Amino acid sequence: MADLEIINLHVRTEEREILHGVSLQVNKGETHALMGPNGSGKSTLANVLMGNDTYEVTEGQIIFNGEDITEEDPEKRSQAGLFLAFQYPAVVPGVSVANFLRLAINAHRDEPINVKEFRDRLKENMDLLKVPREFTSRYLNDGFSGGEKKRAEILQMAMLDPQIAVLDETDSGLDIDALRVVSEGVNALRERGMGSLIITHYQRILDYIKPDFVHILLEGRIVEEGGPELVAKLEEHGYDWIREEVASRAG
Amino acid sequence: MPASDDATTAPATIAADRAAALEIFEKTELPTWRRGGFWTTTLRDLKFDELGPREYPAVSSRDELPQVVRDALGDEQFAGLIVQRGASVIYSEVADDLPAGVIACTLEQAMADHGELTTKYYAKRIGHGEGKFTAANAALWSGGAFFYVPANTEVEKPFQVVNVIDEPGVAQYGRTLAIVDTSGKGIFREYNLAPDIEGQALHSGATEIFVEPNGWAKVKTFQDWGSGEVYDISTKRVAIARDAHARWFPIHLGGHLTKQTLDIVTADRGADMRHNGLYFTQGDELLDLFTTDLHESGDTTGDTVWKGAATGKSKASYEGLIEIREGCQNSHTYLQTHTLMLSKDAKVDAIPSLIVKTDDVSASHGGTVGEVDEHQVFYMRTRGISRQDAIRILVEGFFEPVIEQFEDEALETLVRERIQGKLAEASDDIASYAATK
Repeated sequence: MADLEIINLHVRTEEREILHGVSLQVNKGETHALMGPNGSGKSTLANVLMGNDTYEVTEGQIIFNGEDITEEDPEKRSQAGLFLAFQYPAVVPGVSVANFLRLAINAHRDEPINVKEFRDRLKENMDLLKVPREFTSRYLNDGFSGGEKKRAEILQMAMLDPQIAVLDETDSGLDIDALRVVSEGVNALRERGMGSLIITHYQRILDYIKPDFVHILLEGRIVEEGGPELVAKLEEHGYDWIREEVASRAG
Repeated sequence: MPASDDATTAPATIAADRAAALEIFEKTELPTWRRGGFWTTTLRDLKFDELGPREYPAVSSRDELPQVVRDALGDEQFAGLIVQRGASVIYSEVADDLPAGVIACTLEQAMADHGELTTKYYAKRIGHGEGKFTAANAALWSGGAFFYVPANTEVEKPFQVVNVIDEPGVAQYGRTLAIVDTSGKGIFREYNLAPDIEGQALHSGATEIFVEPNGWAKVKTFQDWGSGEVYDISTKRVAIARDAHARWFPIHLGGHLTKQTLDIVTADRGADMRHNGLYFTQGDELLDLFTTDLHESGDTTGDTVWKGAATGKSKASYEGLIEIREGCQNSHTYLQTHTLMLSKDAKVDAIPSLIVKTDDVSASHGGTVGEVDEHQVFYMRTRGISRQDAIRILVEGFFEPVIEQFEDEALETLVRERIQGKLAEASDDIASYAATK
């Protein structure tokens, strides 16, 4: 069994069903890309993986390290080693980046982290992500630019050191320099053994983070799976090619 | 204690003022404050006739002060400390390293020893003609605190007055008068404290603070009357002269019924003020604050920011007025009020308003009423933080931008601890409310 196993997941909001039976497996150390046009259900999947209760799982399971976490609280999923880098992170006014990181790390351990260990870890990861010093004393995401928010997400990921991370459109709104820095950070964590599910509808980020596996989500179903060659094919033909492909299969 | 600066003692004018005030007090009915038909602050349940001033014996060390006072003061050192219990100043301290001319003593003592100085300022901003309770204070105050920073003098340690009520049945008429003279610099703190008493008590205070030309003052007024039935009906006013600056932090963390008028006056050109308040109401408390940012001169600047949170069945009303008088060109001021609703049964009301009688000014206001946002809570939970901790962190974070501006470690710690305590008491209520959002 894979480290993260999504089995036949059906998800709905009050209005309608969004995911119609998604299955996906991600192991530690593997990099998966989940691609698809806007509205295909990518962000819904990311949110459901972390336990956002605005969505209802009507069928299927999420298994993490052999445990069924389908109904688990978000904080328990995080503590177990799952992470989500949000597409639109929340603002946490009055709480500095450094304080928030400390709170989050301490929520993952029995004893609070000691000051020196925290400082060393923070410095190491800030260097890795080329985060300026004054960044950590600002209130988390309060007045941050789009690029700063994404960098703060990746800094949190690096500090929490998850087993599997979901990156929800981390590339959108990033300029090329920021994209490169963020990608280098993800690649460094991959070397530490982190598995990832990179959600995007552009190909650009995949020039920097080479996926082992590619999955294409269309209208709540995974319709195509393969290796990195799928990215090139999508680049050439766009999502219309997939739509036609799906239609012809159905026909 | 410095020697007398003049030969005059408690002047006859103040005795006459007391007599006139008493007359007004006796013939004025207990007020009710109504606004627009949807907000009423009433004293209907106050057994006013059963409350009265109460004398207490002096104590000789901080160790003998009521527990609630010792907890709030810790072992901090002050330029001057005055502790008033009921009607009596029971304890005072004056630092022995103060610059020449600095005065810290009871107001009664100051009137005896420094008649000219006290007469110049006493009741110049809070007279006895503003209703039953300003009259009561002017007629009945005793003890009181007087702090004076002379011209061109800087006092680093804070001046501290504590008004404490620790028994039911007490009516306390506290009076604070503080002055920073020309180009001087001083920090004033007023703490109004009670333990959780059983029964009714009243504090009706008057606090006047003057910052003379080119002076600088920081003012911190802290209120926590505990969970007893303590009524607080007070007026506080800070007046800022030419090119002077004052920053005032009013902090309201407890009181059965609070009705206060908190005004800050930029009285001459170049005067600049910052007014940063916070409140947290719980249980069945009622808090009714009316602040005025009054510009009596042109070329003045102001900035008012209030933050408040309401839990339980509490009611909190904040009315903030910007008033710019005629001929006060080139005044610039801004007022904002942010409120956090933490319970379905709490009621908050925030009313910014403007009276501007001059062209060529900038005056505006803004406000928000918010709730703890589920998106924020979910975000924090995905970082491993429990729902309850997330809510606590968000509420603390809401106040933090004001708290960290105190630049006063002792007070910051005190306020953070009190807010944490209140959040802990209300945590189930807050969490169940947030879950419905």
